[in-house]
Amino acid sequence: MQYRKTILLSVALLLGGVAFGQDEASDVSEVDDVEELKIVAIEALISAPPERALPAITRVLQGNNSDDVKESALFILSQIETPEAQALLLDTARQSDGELQEEAIQMIGIGGDPQALAGLRNIYASGDSDVRESVLEAYLIADDSKSIYELAISADNEEDLENAVEMLGAMGAIDDLRDLLDQIGPSEGLIEAYAIAGDVESLRTIAADSSNPETQAEAIEALGIVGDTQADQVLVQIYKDSPSEDVREAALEGMLISGNDEAVLQLYRDSTSNAEKRELLELLSIMGSEEVWDLIDEALENRR
Amino acid sequence: MNDDTLTLYYYNDGLTNAERQEVANALAIDPALADLYQSLCRELEQVADPEMPAPPSDMVQRWHDSLDRAIGLETRPKPEPAVHSWSFLLGAAVTAALAIGVGIGMFLADEEPATPMIEELTADNPISEHPGSSAFIRGLQVHLRESEQGLTSLDTGVDSDRSLLIMNIIEQNRLFERVAEQNDSENLARVLRAFQLVLMQLAAEDISDEDAEALRAKLLFELNVMLTKLANNPSDEPTTI
Repeated sequence: MQYRKTILLSVALLLGGVAFGQDEASDVSEVDDVEELKIVAIEALISAPPERALPAITRVLQGNNSDDVKESALFILSQIETPEAQALLLDTARQSDGELQEEAIQMIGIGGDPQALAGLRNIYASGDSDVRESVLEAYLIADDSKSIYELAISADNEEDLENAVEMLGAMGAIDDLRDLLDQIGPSEGLIEAYAIAGDVESLRTIAADSSNPETQAEAIEALGIVGDTQADQVLVQIYKDSPSEDVREAALEGMLISGNDEAVLQLYRDSTSNAEKRELLELLSIMGSEEVWDLIDEALENRR
Repeated sequence: MNDDTLTLYYYNDGLTNAERQEVANALAIDPALADLYQSLCRELEQVADPEMPAPPSDMVQRWHDSLDRAIGLETRPKPEPAVHSWSFLLGAAVTAALAIGVGIGMFLADEEPATPMIEELTADNPISEHPGSSAFIRGLQVHLRESEQGLTSLDTGVDSDRSLLIMNIIEQNRLFERVAEQNDSENLARVLRAFQLVLMQLAAEDISDEDAEALRAKLLFELNVMLTKLANNPSDEPTTI
């Protein structure tokens, strides 16, 4: 039971640590040593029973300790799965400011307690942009896309909406992003989020809608960002089917982004138009396709 | 000879013929090692099934990428190996192999949802009760230890090593996070997602030395805490965090 001794030592250090830390130490390295010792002591609390660890951590958070020491305590707190620990995390997130507040918010994400996560809504509403970003990250850590969706729906400015949508994209929260399309309609941020989440179906739907050519082109190009086989096939189909030059241009851009030189090569071989062949050859050249030199030879020799 | 080498020996991968022969010789003359190997085989057999579905190609690709990079580093002339990149990357490759093993088990577990491979690390659910759980935990411990070693070496590393090390840690971390997530071990998945965020910040090219040092210290602390938590045997101490 070696670690019991370590825990007891840790608790003793932490309980006495406030006064220790308040000492007017003239030597900076001595202060650093004290700080380091406190952090080691806090680390050891991970092995302690919650009823022993919680009071010690509470004292650390309430005491005159540096942010680094308190942030270490917050991580341990996130690992204590008791309502008291999660409530303390939420209190710290509400009552502190700056980096400590942001850390407490993220630790609520790690803790994953539904009540504490719900409590972040008010903190988000009253916080500055850094706080709001931390709340989004906490929801990402907790894999709570529904809360981010709700923040997106209730956003009262473009920046908050875009940040929430971006986070949903990073989480691959396709269902929530699709619901958002119904609520707010297509936007550049939403299209990017679909691309990051790999939602080919939604991008295909937007790409088929010609009511807003700019949005349509963005969706087509975003298919290139997805870059999987399905997206590549959709791009080729759009290129072949669309009568619109702009749409076909966007589809080629998408193929360029995805690096699908095989498809461009096939389009080149299938084409009977010299103007189109010229455009496709240029694109293949930009893409650095290995085949482009053979095509150049063919073109120079009038073979095709 | 450690678990990693024996794991590679078991999978018949990552060792040269000479190294395999060395392991075989050691197993023949060292009964304790032979026992350890048998125990490891039993655990790995639980996650390895001849009829298992193939792991996703992207997972295999990442594994091979890690090995390729490790081999590349070995053969590339280096003026001054300030960072122990080779050992870290080899470790990362081994960790990836472990993760793939766990991942394979995960797919099997998907077919048998009534028997989850891993459980939340709570006192009520001692991990040793579940088949395959120790393989996951050991793999995760290797990942965390390798991450810790990699991060510790960052202060002496050159920029290219730094990026490579962090990207490797991110790859491994993502792998373990996904395994944890798909096995309903949400506690671990959340912690690993939080690591991911910090690692991404650390990987940013425009980060100042001061910020990088602060992030590194924070991550090292949290890695240590998680290693301690994973090392604690819940069945021995039912009231720990």
